[in-house]
Amino acid sequence: MIEEPYRWVEAIANRREYIEAQLAPGSPIAALGYRDGILFLTVSQSRQKIFEVYDRIAMGAIGHPGDIERLRMAAIELASTEGFTRSAADVSLRRLVHYSLSPVMKNAFEQVYGAPYLARMLFAEVGERPEEDLFLRVEYDGEIATNGATYAQARQDFAALSGTQQSREQMEALLATEHAQDANLETVLNSALDAWSIGHMTLQTDDAKEPPERAAVRKHRQEQLTNAGIEAALLERDASRAIRYRSLSDKELRPLIRD
Amino acid sequence: MERSLVAFDQNFSGAVGDFPVLLRRKGLLAPAAANPVPQDRTPQKMWQPTEATTILAFKFSGGVLVAGDRRATAGNTVVYDRADKVLEIDRHSIMAIAGVPATAWEMARVLEHSFQYFRRTQLQEMSVDGKVRALSKLLRDNFGFVMQGVGVVVPIFATYDSHPKPEARLYFYDAMGAQFEATDYAATGSGSPAVRGILFYENNWGAKPLQELGEDEAVSIALRALDTASQSDTATGGVDRGGKIYPLIKIVSRDGITTLPESKIAAVFKETVA
Repeated sequence: MIEEPYRWVEAIANRREYIEAQLAPGSPIAALGYRDGILFLTVSQSRQKIFEVYDRIAMGAIGHPGDIERLRMAAIELASTEGFTRSAADVSLRRLVHYSLSPVMKNAFEQVYGAPYLARMLFAEVGERPEEDLFLRVEYDGEIATNGATYAQARQDFAALSGTQQSREQMEALLATEHAQDANLETVLNSALDAWSIGHMTLQTDDAKEPPERAAVRKHRQEQLTNAGIEAALLERDASRAIRYRSLSDKELRPLIRD
Repeated sequence: MERSLVAFDQNFSGAVGDFPVLLRRKGLLAPAAANPVPQDRTPQKMWQPTEATTILAFKFSGGVLVAGDRRATAGNTVVYDRADKVLEIDRHSIMAIAGVPATAWEMARVLEHSFQYFRRTQLQEMSVDGKVRALSKLLRDNFGFVMQGVGVVVPIFATYDSHPKPEARLYFYDAMGAQFEATDYAATGSGSPAVRGILFYENNWGAKPLQELGEDEAVSIALRALDTASQSDTATGGVDRGGKIYPLIKIVSRDGITTLPESKIAAVFKETVA
Protein backbone atom coordinates (compact mmCIF):
# COMPACT_ATOMS: atom_id res chain seq x y z
CA MET A 1 0.00 0.00 0.00
CA ILE A 2 2.60 2.54 1.03
CA GLU A 3 4.70 1.91 -2.04
CA GLU A 4 2.42 4.41 -3.73
CA PRO A 5 3.42 7.95 -2.75
CA TYR A 6 -0.15 9.15 -2.38
CA ARG A 7 -1.02 6.30 -0.02
CA TRP A 8 2.03 7.11 2.07
CA VAL A 9 1.01 10.75 2.42
CA GLU A 10 -2.48 9.66 3.34
CA ALA A 11 -1.17 7.19 5.93
CA ILE A 12 1.00 9.86 7.48
CA ALA A 13 -1.93 12.29 7.60
CA ASN A 14 -4.10 9.69 9.33
CA ARG A 15 -1.36 8.97 11.78
CA ARG A 16 -0.94 12.68 12.54
CA GLU A 17 -4.66 13.04 13.14
CA TYR A 18 -4.64 10.02 15.44
CA ILE A 19 -1.69 11.25 17.50
CA GLU A 20 -3.09 14.77 17.80
CA ALA A 21 -6.34 13.31 19.15
CA GLN A 22 -4.41 11.22 21.65
CA LEU A 23 -2.36 14.17 22.87
CA ALA A 24 -5.27 16.64 22.98
CA PRO A 25 -6.31 16.13 26.63
CA GLY A 26 -2.72 16.57 27.89
CA SER A 27 -2.50 19.05 30.75
CA PRO A 28 -0.33 22.05 29.85
CA ILE A 29 3.23 22.61 31.08
CA ALA A 30 4.86 26.04 31.33
CA ALA A 31 8.58 26.76 31.62
CA LEU A 32 9.69 30.28 32.53
CA GLY A 33 13.18 31.68 32.75
CA TYR A 34 13.77 34.18 35.53
CA ARG A 35 16.52 35.84 37.54
CA ASP A 36 17.57 32.76 39.51
CA GLY A 37 16.86 29.99 37.03
CA ILE A 38 14.07 28.29 35.13
CA LEU A 39 10.74 27.24 36.63
CA PHE A 40 8.86 24.24 35.22
CA LEU A 41 5.23 24.02 36.26
CA THR A 42 2.10 22.01 35.69
CA VAL A 43 -0.98 21.21 37.71
CA SER A 44 -1.39 17.50 37.71
CA GLN A 45 -3.95 15.04 38.85
CA SER A 46 -2.00 11.86 38.32
CA ARG A 47 1.50 10.93 37.26
CA GLN A 48 4.74 12.86 37.27
CA LYS A 49 5.34 14.97 34.17
CA ILE A 50 8.48 16.97 34.95
CA PHE A 51 11.84 15.20 35.09
CA GLU A 52 15.55 15.80 35.62
CA VAL A 53 17.68 14.88 32.60
CA TYR A 54 21.17 16.08 33.45
CA ASP A 55 22.99 18.67 35.56
CA ARG A 56 21.51 21.69 33.75
CA ILE A 57 18.73 20.04 31.74
CA ALA A 58 15.14 19.20 32.62
CA MET A 59 12.14 18.05 30.62
CA GLY A 60 8.36 18.03 30.77
CA ALA A 61 6.23 15.78 28.61
CA ILE A 62 2.68 14.88 27.70
CA GLY A 63 1.62 11.71 25.93
CA HIS A 64 1.70 8.00 26.54
CA PRO A 65 3.62 7.14 29.72
CA GLY A 66 5.39 4.23 28.03
CA ASP A 67 6.69 6.40 25.20
CA ILE A 68 7.63 9.25 27.52
CA GLU A 69 9.58 6.79 29.61
CA ARG A 70 11.54 5.46 26.63
CA LEU A 71 12.42 8.94 25.43
CA ARG A 72 13.30 10.10 28.92
CA MET A 73 15.61 7.11 29.43
CA ALA A 74 17.24 7.71 26.06
CA ALA A 75 17.85 11.37 26.89
CA ILE A 76 19.36 10.53 30.29
CA GLU A 77 21.51 7.77 28.79
CA LEU A 78 22.88 10.02 26.08
CA ALA A 79 23.54 12.92 28.45
CA SER A 80 25.13 10.70 31.11
CA THR A 81 27.51 8.89 28.78
CA GLU A 82 28.51 12.19 27.17
CA GLY A 83 29.07 13.74 30.60
CA PHE A 84 31.09 10.73 31.69
CA THR A 85 33.36 10.43 28.66
CA ARG A 86 33.88 14.17 28.19
CA SER A 87 32.63 16.55 30.85
CA ALA A 88 29.37 17.91 32.18
CA ALA A 89 30.06 21.15 30.29
CA ASP A 90 30.03 19.23 27.00
CA VAL A 91 26.50 17.97 27.50
CA SER A 92 24.43 20.27 25.32
CA LEU A 93 20.67 20.25 25.01
CA ARG A 94 20.85 21.51 21.45
CA ARG A 95 22.98 18.57 20.35
CA LEU A 96 20.93 16.09 22.37
CA VAL A 97 17.70 17.12 20.71
CA HIS A 98 18.84 18.02 17.21
CA TYR A 99 21.19 15.14 16.54
CA SER A 100 19.85 12.36 18.72
CA LEU A 101 16.19 12.59 19.68
CA SER A 102 14.66 14.37 16.71
CA PRO A 103 15.94 12.02 13.95
CA VAL A 104 14.78 8.96 15.87
CA MET A 105 11.32 10.42 16.46
CA LYS A 106 10.95 11.44 12.83
CA ASN A 107 12.02 7.99 11.75
CA ALA A 108 9.50 6.26 14.00
CA PHE A 109 6.76 8.61 12.86
CA GLU A 110 7.33 7.99 9.15
CA GLN A 111 7.70 4.22 9.34
CA VAL A 112 4.00 3.67 8.94
CA TYR A 113 4.19 -0.04 9.80
CA GLY A 114 5.86 0.69 13.13
CA ALA A 115 4.62 2.56 16.16
CA PRO A 116 5.31 6.30 16.48
CA TYR A 117 6.21 7.96 19.76
CA LEU A 118 3.04 9.29 21.36
CA ALA A 119 4.74 12.14 23.12
CA ARG A 120 5.35 15.85 22.97
CA MET A 121 8.24 17.15 25.04
CA LEU A 122 9.57 20.41 26.36
CA PHE A 123 13.26 20.61 27.28
CA ALA A 124 15.07 23.45 28.99
CA GLU A 125 18.73 24.10 29.72
CA VAL A 126 19.66 26.77 32.23
CA GLY A 127 22.39 29.18 31.16
CA GLU A 128 24.85 31.31 33.08
CA ARG A 129 22.73 34.36 32.30
CA PRO A 130 18.99 34.51 31.47
CA GLU A 131 19.86 35.34 27.84
CA GLU A 132 21.53 31.95 27.56
CA ASP A 133 18.56 29.88 28.69
CA LEU A 134 17.52 27.45 26.00
CA PHE A 135 14.03 26.02 25.51
CA LEU A 136 13.28 23.32 22.95
CA ARG A 137 9.93 21.79 22.14
CA VAL A 138 10.03 18.46 20.35
CA GLU A 139 6.96 17.08 18.59
CA TYR A 140 6.08 13.43 17.98
CA ASP A 141 7.29 13.76 14.37
CA GLY A 142 10.68 15.11 15.39
CA GLU A 143 9.78 18.74 14.66
CA ILE A 144 11.70 21.16 16.87
CA ALA A 145 10.72 24.64 18.01
CA THR A 146 13.09 26.83 20.01
CA ASN A 147 12.75 30.00 22.02
CA GLY A 148 13.83 32.26 19.21
CA ALA A 149 17.42 31.46 18.53
CA THR A 150 16.63 32.15 14.89
CA TYR A 151 16.60 35.44 12.99
CA ALA A 152 12.90 35.32 12.38
CA GLN A 153 11.56 35.82 15.86
CA ALA A 154 12.37 37.78 18.96
CA ARG A 155 13.99 35.78 21.72
CA GLN A 156 11.61 34.56 24.40
CA ASP A 157 12.54 33.45 27.89
CA PHE A 158 9.62 31.07 28.28
CA ALA A 159 8.06 28.08 26.56
CA ALA A 160 4.75 26.27 26.75
CA LEU A 161 3.55 22.79 25.96
CA SER A 162 -0.06 21.72 25.67
CA GLY A 163 -2.45 19.19 24.16
CA THR A 164 -3.51 21.43 21.27
CA GLN A 165 -1.83 24.13 19.24
CA GLN A 166 -4.57 26.61 20.09
CA SER A 167 -4.09 26.06 23.80
CA ARG A 168 -0.34 26.48 23.50
CA GLU A 169 -0.72 29.70 21.54
CA GLN A 170 -3.01 31.17 24.19
CA MET A 171 -0.41 30.35 26.83
CA GLU A 172 2.38 31.90 24.78
CA ALA A 173 0.33 35.03 24.13
CA LEU A 174 -0.31 35.45 27.84
CA LEU A 175 3.32 34.88 28.77
CA ALA A 176 4.53 37.28 26.10
CA THR A 177 2.70 40.11 27.85
CA GLU A 178 2.85 39.00 31.47
CA HIS A 179 6.31 37.51 31.92
CA ALA A 180 9.41 39.57 32.61
CA GLN A 181 12.87 38.03 32.62
CA ASP A 182 14.03 39.79 35.78
CA ALA A 183 11.09 38.56 37.87
CA ASN A 184 11.51 36.70 41.14
CA LEU A 185 10.21 33.21 41.97
CA GLU A 186 6.92 34.42 43.39
CA THR A 187 6.11 36.43 40.27
CA VAL A 188 7.06 33.70 37.80
CA LEU A 189 5.12 31.15 39.81
CA ASN A 190 1.98 33.22 39.44
CA SER A 191 2.61 33.87 35.73
CA ALA A 192 3.15 30.15 35.21
CA LEU A 193 -0.10 29.33 37.01
CA ASP A 194 -1.95 31.88 34.87
CA ALA A 195 -0.45 30.37 31.74
CA TRP A 196 -1.40 26.89 32.85
CA SER A 197 -4.96 28.00 33.61
CA ILE A 198 -5.51 29.73 30.28
CA GLY A 199 -4.07 26.69 28.48
CA HIS A 200 -6.25 24.33 30.47
CA MET A 201 -9.40 26.42 29.85
CA THR A 202 -8.72 26.51 26.12
CA LEU A 203 -8.42 22.72 26.05
CA GLN A 204 -11.91 22.43 27.50
CA THR A 205 -13.64 24.76 25.04
CA ASP A 206 -13.69 23.80 21.39
CA ASP A 207 -14.30 27.13 19.70
CA ALA A 208 -12.48 29.70 21.80
CA LYS A 209 -11.61 32.41 19.29
CA GLU A 210 -11.03 35.09 21.87
CA PRO A 211 -8.84 34.55 24.90
CA PRO A 212 -10.89 34.09 28.08
CA GLU A 213 -11.43 37.05 30.39
CA ARG A 214 -8.82 37.67 33.05
CA ALA A 215 -11.31 37.20 35.87
CA ALA A 216 -12.44 33.89 34.40
CA VAL A 217 -8.83 32.68 34.24
CA ARG A 218 -8.31 33.54 37.91
CA LYS A 219 -11.51 31.80 38.86
CA HIS A 220 -10.56 28.68 36.89
CA ARG A 221 -7.16 28.65 38.52
CA GLN A 222 -8.64 28.83 42.03
CA GLU A 223 -11.09 26.04 41.30
CA GLN A 224 -8.44 23.75 39.85
CA LEU A 225 -6.00 24.36 42.67
CA THR A 226 -8.50 23.28 45.29
CA ASN A 227 -8.49 19.69 44.06
CA ALA A 228 -5.22 19.23 42.20
CA GLY A 229 -1.57 19.53 43.16
CA ILE A 230 1.11 21.80 41.73
CA GLU A 231 4.00 19.90 40.23
CA ALA A 232 7.02 22.11 39.79
CA ALA A 233 10.79 21.98 39.50
CA LEU A 234 13.62 24.48 39.28
CA LEU A 235 16.81 24.59 37.30
CA GLU A 236 18.84 26.92 39.47
CA ARG A 237 21.22 29.41 37.95
CA ASP A 238 23.52 29.27 41.00
CA ALA A 239 26.78 27.95 39.59
CA SER A 240 28.24 26.92 42.93
CA ARG A 241 26.87 23.41 42.61
CA ALA A 242 26.88 21.08 39.64
CA ILE A 243 23.36 19.69 39.86
CA ARG A 244 20.87 22.48 39.28
CA TYR A 245 17.63 20.50 39.26
CA ARG A 246 15.44 20.73 42.34
CA SER A 247 11.83 19.66 42.55
CA LEU A 248 9.49 21.94 44.46
CA SER A 249 6.71 20.59 46.61
CA ASP A 250 3.14 21.77 46.49
CA LYS A 251 3.42 22.75 50.14
CA GLU A 252 6.43 24.96 49.43
CA LEU A 253 4.61 26.83 46.67
CA ARG A 254 1.12 27.38 48.07
CA PRO A 255 2.12 30.33 50.32
CA LEU A 256 3.53 32.16 47.26
CA ILE A 257 0.27 32.11 45.33
CA ARG A 258 -1.47 35.47 44.91
CA ASP A 259 -5.21 35.20 44.56
CA MET B 1 17.17 0.40 5.61
CA GLU B 2 20.17 2.22 6.98
CA ARG B 3 20.30 2.08 10.72
CA SER B 4 20.12 5.34 12.57
CA LEU B 5 23.19 6.27 14.58
CA VAL B 6 21.15 6.47 17.70
CA ALA B 7 18.62 3.72 18.15
CA PHE B 8 16.51 3.24 21.21
CA ASP B 9 16.09 -0.21 22.54
CA GLN B 10 12.50 -1.11 21.74
CA ASN B 11 12.37 -3.67 24.51
CA PHE B 12 13.71 -1.26 27.03
CA SER B 13 12.33 -2.07 30.43
CA GLY B 14 13.46 0.95 32.36
CA ALA B 15 14.31 -1.30 35.26
CA VAL B 16 18.02 -1.06 34.53
CA GLY B 17 19.65 1.60 36.61
CA ASP B 18 23.18 0.29 36.46
CA PHE B 19 25.52 2.85 34.92
CA PRO B 20 28.64 0.63 34.58
CA VAL B 21 26.53 -1.86 32.58
CA LEU B 22 25.45 0.96 30.27
CA LEU B 23 29.05 2.11 29.84
CA ARG B 24 30.18 -1.42 29.00
CA ARG B 25 27.35 -1.81 26.49
CA LYS B 26 28.58 1.32 24.76
CA GLY B 27 32.21 0.22 25.02
CA LEU B 28 33.17 3.11 27.29
CA LEU B 29 34.43 1.05 30.23
CA ALA B 30 36.91 -1.82 30.27
CA PRO B 31 35.09 -5.14 30.60
CA ALA B 32 35.28 -6.87 33.95
CA ALA B 33 37.94 -9.59 33.91
CA ALA B 34 36.03 -12.86 33.70
CA ASN B 35 38.79 -14.90 35.29
CA PRO B 36 41.13 -12.78 37.34
CA VAL B 37 43.37 -15.70 38.26
CA PRO B 38 45.73 -16.72 35.45
CA GLN B 39 45.33 -20.19 33.98
CA ASP B 40 48.46 -21.74 35.50
CA ARG B 41 47.12 -20.77 38.92
CA THR B 42 50.20 -18.78 39.83
CA PRO B 43 49.90 -15.02 39.71
CA GLN B 44 52.20 -13.52 37.07
CA LYS B 45 53.66 -11.30 39.69
CA MET B 46 53.39 -11.70 43.41
CA TRP B 47 50.88 -9.13 44.46
CA GLN B 48 52.24 -6.64 46.90
CA PRO B 49 50.10 -4.07 48.59
CA THR B 50 51.48 -0.85 47.16
CA GLU B 51 48.86 1.60 48.33
CA ALA B 52 51.49 4.19 49.07
CA THR B 53 49.66 6.87 51.01
CA THR B 54 47.76 7.41 54.26
CA ILE B 55 44.03 7.93 54.47
CA LEU B 56 42.08 8.03 57.69
CA ALA B 57 38.50 8.59 58.70
CA PHE B 58 36.73 8.60 62.03
CA LYS B 59 33.38 9.56 63.47
CA PHE B 60 33.27 12.56 65.78
CA SER B 61 30.49 14.69 67.24
CA GLY B 62 29.96 16.61 63.98
CA GLY B 63 29.78 13.62 61.59
CA VAL B 64 32.65 11.81 59.87
CA LEU B 65 36.03 13.39 59.32
CA VAL B 66 38.02 12.11 56.35
CA ALA B 67 41.63 13.14 55.93
CA GLY B 68 44.34 12.24 53.46
CA ASP B 69 47.93 13.31 52.91
CA ARG B 70 48.77 14.81 49.54
CA ARG B 71 51.85 12.97 48.35
CA ALA B 72 51.76 10.90 45.17
CA THR B 73 54.68 8.55 44.62
CA ALA B 74 56.05 6.25 41.94
CA GLY B 75 58.47 3.86 43.58
CA ASN B 76 60.91 6.01 45.50
CA THR B 77 60.08 9.19 43.64
CA VAL B 78 57.69 11.83 44.87
CA VAL B 79 55.68 12.70 41.77
CA TYR B 80 53.26 15.27 43.09
CA ASP B 81 52.76 16.92 46.45
CA ARG B 82 49.24 18.32 46.03
CA ALA B 83 47.24 15.22 45.10
CA ASP B 84 43.59 15.03 46.15
CA LYS B 85 42.85 11.63 47.54
CA VAL B 86 39.65 12.60 49.32
CA LEU B 87 37.00 12.83 46.63
CA GLU B 88 33.38 13.99 46.80
CA ILE B 89 31.04 11.53 45.11
CA ASP B 90 27.73 13.21 45.83
CA ARG B 91 26.29 15.70 48.30
CA HIS B 92 26.68 13.31 51.23
CA SER B 93 29.32 10.81 50.16
CA ILE B 94 33.09 10.85 50.17
CA MET B 95 35.45 8.27 48.74
CA ALA B 96 39.01 8.45 49.98
CA ILE B 97 41.57 6.40 48.12
CA ALA B 98 44.83 4.62 48.63
CA GLY B 99 46.28 2.97 45.58
CA VAL B 100 46.84 3.65 41.92
CA PRO B 101 45.45 7.11 41.14
CA ALA B 102 44.44 6.40 37.54
CA THR B 103 42.18 3.52 38.58
CA ALA B 104 40.94 5.26 41.71
CA TRP B 105 39.93 8.48 39.96
CA GLU B 106 38.22 6.54 37.19
CA MET B 107 36.36 4.57 39.84
CA ALA B 108 35.29 7.75 41.60
CA ARG B 109 34.03 9.11 38.30
CA VAL B 110 32.06 5.98 37.50
CA LEU B 111 30.64 5.97 41.00
CA GLU B 112 29.62 9.63 40.90
CA HIS B 113 27.83 9.14 37.59
CA SER B 114 26.28 5.86 38.78
CA PHE B 115 24.54 7.49 41.72
CA GLN B 116 23.22 10.34 39.60
CA TYR B 117 22.19 8.05 36.79
CA PHE B 118 20.26 5.92 39.25
CA ARG B 119 18.49 8.90 40.77
CA ARG B 120 17.56 10.36 37.39
CA THR B 121 16.33 7.17 35.78
CA GLN B 122 14.69 5.52 38.78
CA LEU B 123 13.37 8.80 40.25
CA GLN B 124 14.67 8.01 43.73
CA GLU B 125 17.95 8.33 45.58
CA MET B 126 20.10 5.20 45.76
CA SER B 127 20.13 3.74 49.27
CA VAL B 128 23.33 3.83 51.30
CA ASP B 129 23.58 0.05 51.10
CA GLY B 130 23.23 0.30 47.33
CA LYS B 131 26.01 2.88 47.14
CA VAL B 132 28.32 0.84 49.34
CA ARG B 133 27.65 -2.20 47.19
CA ALA B 134 28.26 -0.25 43.96
CA LEU B 135 31.80 0.56 45.05
CA SER B 136 32.34 -3.02 46.13
CA LYS B 137 31.30 -4.19 42.67
CA LEU B 138 33.74 -1.80 40.96
CA LEU B 139 36.55 -3.14 43.13
CA ARG B 140 35.60 -6.72 42.33
CA ASP B 141 35.56 -5.93 38.61
CA ASN B 142 38.99 -4.40 38.96
CA PHE B 143 40.53 -7.40 40.68
CA GLY B 144 41.95 -8.80 37.45
CA PHE B 145 44.22 -5.77 37.24
CA VAL B 146 45.18 -6.13 40.89
CA MET B 147 46.33 -9.70 40.26
CA GLN B 148 48.41 -8.47 37.36
CA GLY B 149 50.16 -6.15 39.75
CA VAL B 150 48.60 -2.93 38.49
CA GLY B 151 45.58 -0.92 39.50
CA VAL B 152 45.15 -1.79 43.15
CA VAL B 153 42.74 0.51 44.97
CA VAL B 154 41.79 0.30 48.64
CA PRO B 155 39.19 2.95 49.47
CA ILE B 156 37.29 4.29 52.44
CA PHE B 157 33.70 5.36 51.91
CA ALA B 158 32.00 7.84 54.26
CA THR B 159 28.41 8.94 53.91
CA TYR B 160 25.44 10.29 55.82
CA ASP B 161 22.41 8.04 55.93
CA SER B 162 19.10 9.78 56.53
CA HIS B 163 17.05 6.53 56.40
CA PRO B 164 15.95 4.90 58.60
CA LYS B 165 17.97 6.42 61.42
CA PRO B 166 19.91 9.59 60.60
CA GLU B 167 23.58 8.82 61.22
CA ALA B 168 27.00 9.02 59.68
CA ARG B 169 28.26 5.76 58.22
CA LEU B 170 31.82 4.72 57.51
CA TYR B 171 33.07 1.77 55.43
CA PHE B 172 36.44 0.42 54.42
CA TYR B 173 37.23 -2.11 51.72
CA ASP B 174 39.90 -4.55 50.75
CA ALA B 175 41.27 -4.75 47.22
CA MET B 176 38.88 -7.57 46.30
CA GLY B 177 35.80 -5.56 47.17
CA ALA B 178 34.85 -6.90 50.59
CA GLN B 179 33.23 -4.12 52.57
CA PHE B 180 33.44 -3.63 56.31
CA GLU B 181 31.46 -1.10 58.28
CA ALA B 182 33.61 0.72 60.81
CA THR B 183 32.07 1.64 64.13
CA ASP B 184 34.58 4.34 65.06
CA TYR B 185 37.47 4.73 62.65
CA ALA B 186 39.18 3.37 59.56
CA ALA B 187 42.57 3.85 57.95
CA THR B 188 44.13 2.63 54.74
CA GLY B 189 47.37 2.96 52.81
CA SER B 190 50.99 2.23 53.58
CA GLY B 191 51.09 4.59 56.57
CA SER B 192 47.94 3.18 58.12
CA PRO B 193 49.46 0.87 60.79
CA ALA B 194 50.76 3.89 62.70
CA VAL B 195 47.45 5.73 62.26
CA ARG B 196 45.44 2.75 63.42
CA GLY B 197 47.56 2.59 66.55
CA ILE B 198 46.98 6.26 67.31
CA LEU B 199 43.24 6.13 66.69
CA PHE B 200 42.85 3.01 68.80
CA TYR B 201 44.81 4.63 71.62
CA GLU B 202 42.86 7.91 71.42
CA ASN B 203 39.54 6.12 71.28
CA ASN B 204 40.23 3.99 74.34
CA TRP B 205 42.58 5.95 76.56
CA GLY B 206 42.60 9.46 75.10
CA ALA B 207 41.01 12.53 76.71
CA LYS B 208 37.65 11.39 75.32
CA PRO B 209 36.38 8.81 72.82
CA LEU B 210 36.63 9.86 69.16
CA GLN B 211 32.83 10.06 68.81
CA GLU B 212 32.68 12.82 71.43
CA LEU B 213 35.38 15.07 69.96
CA GLY B 214 34.61 18.60 68.80
CA GLU B 215 35.68 19.71 65.34
CA ASP B 216 38.98 21.35 66.32
CA GLU B 217 39.97 18.41 68.50
CA ALA B 218 39.16 16.01 65.69
CA VAL B 219 41.22 18.00 63.17
CA SER B 220 44.09 18.10 65.63
CA ILE B 221 44.10 14.32 66.04
CA ALA B 222 43.88 13.78 62.29
CA LEU B 223 46.90 16.05 61.73
CA ARG B 224 48.91 14.39 64.47
CA ALA B 225 48.11 10.95 63.12
CA LEU B 226 49.14 11.85 59.55
CA ASP B 227 52.30 13.53 60.77
CA THR B 228 53.16 10.43 62.78
CA ALA B 229 52.59 8.21 59.74
CA SER B 230 54.87 10.37 57.63
CA GLN B 231 57.71 9.92 60.11
CA SER B 232 58.22 6.27 59.18
CA ASP B 233 56.43 5.97 55.85
CA THR B 234 58.17 7.69 52.95
CA ALA B 235 55.06 7.51 50.80
CA THR B 236 53.05 9.68 53.20
CA GLY B 237 53.43 13.42 52.94
CA GLY B 238 52.07 14.38 56.36
CA VAL B 239 52.35 18.12 56.86
CA ASP B 240 54.91 19.87 54.68
CA ARG B 241 56.12 22.57 57.04
CA GLY B 242 58.41 24.24 54.53
CA GLY B 243 56.02 24.18 51.58
CA LYS B 244 52.98 24.92 53.78
CA ILE B 245 51.10 21.97 52.30
CA TYR B 246 48.46 20.57 54.61
CA PRO B 247 46.45 17.37 54.39
CA LEU B 248 43.03 17.52 52.76
CA ILE B 249 40.28 17.26 55.35
CA LYS B 250 36.57 16.93 54.59
CA ILE B 251 33.65 16.46 56.94
CA VAL B 252 30.41 14.65 56.12
CA SER B 253 27.41 15.67 58.19
CA ARG B 254 23.65 15.93 57.91
CA ASP B 255 24.04 19.19 55.97
CA GLY B 256 26.36 17.69 53.38
CA ILE B 257 30.10 17.89 52.85
CA THR B 258 32.37 20.67 54.05
CA THR B 259 35.95 21.01 52.93
CA LEU B 260 37.99 22.63 55.67
CA PRO B 261 39.82 25.70 54.40
CA GLU B 262 43.60 25.55 54.53
CA SER B 263 43.70 28.57 56.85
CA LYS B 264 41.68 26.70 59.45
CA ILE B 265 43.84 23.57 59.22
CA ALA B 266 46.94 25.73 59.44
CA ALA B 267 45.61 27.42 62.59
CA VAL B 268 44.85 24.13 64.33
CA PHE B 269 48.22 22.78 63.23
CA LYS B 270 50.08 25.78 64.60
CA GLU B 271 48.28 25.63 67.91
CA THR B 272 48.28 21.92 68.69
CA VAL B 273 50.74 20.06 66.48
CA ALA B 274 53.74 22.09 65.37
